[in-house]
Amino acid sequence: MDVFTTKGILDRSQLTVKDIVTEEDSVRVIATEWYLGDEMVRRDVNVNILCGQSLGAEQGSV
Amino acid sequence: MANVQAVCNSFKSELLTGIHALGTTVVRATNAVDSLKAALYYTTASIDSSATVYTTTGEVVGANYTAGGAIVSNSNPPINSGSTAYWTPSGAFSWSTVTISTAFDCVLIYNTTQGNRAIATYTFTPVTVSVGNFSINMPTNNASTGLLRLS
Repeated sequence: MDVFTTKGILDRSQLTVKDIVTEEDSVRVIATEWYLGDEMVRRDVNVNILCGQSLGAEQGSV
Repeated sequence: MANVQAVCNSFKSELLTGIHALGTTVVRATNAVDSLKAALYYTTASIDSSATVYTTTGEVVGANYTAGGAIVSNSNPPINSGSTAYWTPSGAFSWSTVTISTAFDCVLIYNTTQGNRAIATYTFTPVTVSVGNFSINMPTNNASTGLLRLS
């Protein structure tokens, strides 16, 4: 499999991959870092919104 | 049965579809769904609830990122469930083979049909991207987790 990197197109077998997962209350972020030796040559990121925002409707009284 | 004061459930979703105008509003050319976009901002920007319109100030710059951001897929109508109205875009916001070397942590959703008026901001762990794909994936579209909910 070819992978587009800062060094051009490289074969997947040349690269090592590391996933970094961070999670907050309503968001999970997965960063995928691709390394050629010690050098990072590509970084993908997926932000997963687990829960959106809520707007409360408040009512006065008469 | 008894009478109960309430903000009517139908009103909540009708706010999201522009049915009610309790103040002076805009003249809408059609009854079509508005077009929305999603723009990304550096951690050093100041995008928050006070945002009124899309701005380029603090917006990310990078290869394969176009100012203004990505088109928001919107084939999901607002829905009422119980006392909550909710809406979630029908697809992820995504960029391919993008490089954004300085950390960013915010996306602004705004309405291009209505003069780029701001809708909502969402923040996440600061990230960078290097010739990679970046996507913001949507939550489950329901009354508990939908991206925008009125309750």
